Amino acid sequence: MSARLETARAVAVAALRRLAGMAATLLVTSFLVFSSLYLAPGDPVSFLIRGRSPDPQELVALRHRYGFDKPFPVRYWNWLDGVLHGDFGQSYLFHQSVAAVIWSRLPSTLLLVAVSTLMIAVVGVGAGVVGALRRGTRTDSAVLLMVTFGAAVPSFVAAIVLRSVLGVRLGWFPTIGNGTGTLDRLHHIVLPAIALSVTFMALVTRVTRSAMLDELRREHVEVALSRGLPRRTVVRRHVFRNALGPVVTVSGLLVSGMLVSTAIVETAFGMSGIGSLLVQSVDELDFQVVQAIVLLVVAAFVVVNTLVDLLYPLIDPRVAAAGSAR
Amino acid sequence: MTAPRPGAPRPTRRSRRTLATALAAAGVLAASGCSGVAHGSASSSQAAAYRLTARTPAPVGDIDSFTWSIYAEPTSIDYAQSYDYPPNQILANVCESLLRWNPNLTTSPSLATSYANPTPLTWVYQIRPGVHFHDGTLLTAHDVVVSLSRNMDPAVGSDWSYAYRNVASIKQTGPMQVTVTLRTPDSTFNEYMATAPGTIESAATLAKDGTNYGNPTDGVNCTGPFEFSSWTPGQSLVLKRFDDYWDPQLRAKSAQVKFVFLSDPTARVNAFQTGEVDGGWMVPPDAYGQLESSSAGSLYFGQNTTVAEEVVNNLKGPLGNPTVRQALLMAIDRKGIITAGVDGVGDVADSMVTPNTWTGVPSSVVQGYLKDLPGYPYDPARAKAMAAKAGVHGQTVVIATSPLDSETTIVTQAVAQAASAIGLKPQIDTVSADKYTALFTDPAARKGIDLFVTFWYTNITDPLDMYVSLETGQFANYGNWSDPAFDTALNKAVAAYDPAQHAADTAAAQQIAMQQLPWLPLYSDPVSVFLGKRITGVQPSIAYLYYPWAAQIGAKG
Repeated sequence: MSARLETARAVAVAALRRLAGMAATLLVTSFLVFSSLYLAPGDPVSFLIRGRSPDPQELVALRHRYGFDKPFPVRYWNWLDGVLHGDFGQSYLFHQSVAAVIWSRLPSTLLLVAVSTLMIAVVGVGAGVVGALRRGTRTDSAVLLMVTFGAAVPSFVAAIVLRSVLGVRLGWFPTIGNGTGTLDRLHHIVLPAIALSVTFMALVTRVTRSAMLDELRREHVEVALSRGLPRRTVVRRHVFRNALGPVVTVSGLLVSGMLVSTAIVETAFGMSGIGSLLVQSVDELDFQVVQAIVLLVVAAFVVVNTLVDLLYPLIDPRVAAAGSAR
Repeated sequence: MTAPRPGAPRPTRRSRRTLATALAAAGVLAASGCSGVAHGSASSSQAAAYRLTARTPAPVGDIDSFTWSIYAEPTSIDYAQSYDYPPNQILANVCESLLRWNPNLTTSPSLATSYANPTPLTWVYQIRPGVHFHDGTLLTAHDVVVSLSRNMDPAVGSDWSYAYRNVASIKQTGPMQVTVTLRTPDSTFNEYMATAPGTIESAATLAKDGTNYGNPTDGVNCTGPFEFSSWTPGQSLVLKRFDDYWDPQLRAKSAQVKFVFLSDPTARVNAFQTGEVDGGWMVPPDAYGQLESSSAGSLYFGQNTTVAEEVVNNLKGPLGNPTVRQALLMAIDRKGIITAGVDGVGDVADSMVTPNTWTGVPSSVVQGYLKDLPGYPYDPARAKAMAAKAGVHGQTVVIATSPLDSETTIVTQAVAQAASAIGLKPQIDTVSADKYTALFTDPAARKGIDLFVTFWYTNITDPLDMYVSLETGQFANYGNWSDPAFDTALNKAVAAYDPAQHAADTAAAQQIAMQQLPWLPLYSDPVSVFLGKRITGVQPSIAYLYYPWAAQIGAKG
């Protein structure tokens, strides 16, 4: 059997294992979230009646209509049964199906995350590489300074500064909304994406820089250089490629986490998205919506990390070799 | 009538404000350092330096469209589920009631051309002929019966069921006539017909849409100057002019209005400055200074019926003694709260309602009522002596608060300071926005809490709307205060149709409430509205919750 086939098999097995793991994770998470919402103080009905003098008959009708009158296991089972049939239920807050509520907000969040990811990949990794290659120079100091600064700026502060300087004072970018049409949407997303990714960019820069430095110090790199191989080739094939491992791992975690950390940025820039929806739904005990978002985020986590794991053997063949040797 | 919802005031505002507040707090820092938009303390020192505007300059003509900001997205625009600033200010332009609540707080005919009260137990409404719904169908008496009755259906769970608590039946009694029969005389029922509980929707639409009625996809089908056009959840809601509107006086001057949902106060103010948004109600008080001097538009203040009140939730602790409650009120620096909390734009409250809610009696009589009330001027020394005599020194009072907005925080600090000043031990209990909302709905959440603040508006021009909530056993009577003499006066007032008698009985109830202080009235502040430089014509008033205010907005010259 060729090594290539061996690798493919290893990847397939790993993917299957991952898929099963993902299903189990989703099941456990959904149960945990459902029960924590159930145990959380406050009664969803109190939001439905919104402080009116509750007529007992009305309360019974409301509880029954939304299934609040059933015991916990029954409610969970009903929910799970619906999900398995592709029905995420009805949002009592928005009087719409959960799918419609989420679907109308998902694209803007995905775009935000995608643009932020691009920024992290280009700026974060780029700055890290430059810093490592110019170690000890002024460029490197500048990179380090920016990293320290960027890591210390929470996204809500970045949002406010960007908004008031580039939006209100200079008028270069819109301060609110999602925009319409591709170009307008991108124009609207620039400031939120920067605000969202500034901390993450700093983190990725730092990881890239130290990983590159580690690799640069390795024996095989020194040997290659001393044997007269062009520095450019050595950096690309031996340093950067090996340094990519930790960078990809960290980036994977960041990207999947970004899906929920959008709440603050979305609020600051008046955008509708999953993050702000989650905060609101938790606040007002809209069980079905919270459940669906949490599952979405968990699924994103698992998928992204699976992708990272699958990328690993491609970046570093030693991983695949180790896998097949087992 | 339990009107606790305005007391669980601005509930959605509350729940969505945690993030917004964090942003706002950071915004103050950033603004002072980076953008220079912070206003100095100069404006805060000019106490009560504000002017009410009855009507902004008349527009020179029509306009294609304008954009309006709202601090939160409505969850539904079903009138039966609309009891909050966001849905009501939108719906006011789309759906009409039997009567109309005008910006000067009077009522006048709307979908009912006339009404009569032939016996104390019947209200007869003559329905206006030739009125079209937005889908082109004609308004009938059947639509009226169905729309009103819906508020009494437990399956609907209307926010407004309390307005119908004394109603026995609603029936069509003529081709265009509807008669409401009451179980006991209720002088406020007719007044509620000028606000959301009197809303008329097409019966066919209600039947067709069912539980989807008023959601982002189905919207509503009413008779107002604007019709529902589209709703992008999380983003915006668009109304367009209804060309077949029956009232030429209120024909929409704008072909379109786009409402955008912006929960972060700083984002709203920024959008005013850049012109991305043309206007909005409820301007954040900490931006008054910068917007007054802004070239982007004008800031106006209008009539309001809201009073900030400190609810005494526990009448078993040290505050069970009326003397201690009086002492506490006298120790609260209410002028200081107004300066710090609303930038000086407000007045110390002499009673639990604003003077403009009294109708049917000359203002000299209202002044007389106010003069007879016990006064509680700021006098910490005397307050301390009163409390000492009552023997409550060193006892603990728990004050609940939540990081909702600067007003709430400042009021809480001032009340805590007052409690210390009279020898009590204040303990501030900071809860989440969510739990704070629960204080207004859930007795269990209120356990162990002595005091919390509420911003209470009346929905009709009648002090009873507020005082009835202090009746024994009422849902919003959070501290379970009970005074038989107060209840008697109150019930007399509800049953009194004669305006002078109605006012006198209400004043008698008010006298007792202000003596006993189940709630401590703090201050009232006007309605605020910002209009960008493109638009004008609105009448600033709390009536914006039910009056088609957007129809009057047109192009500025």
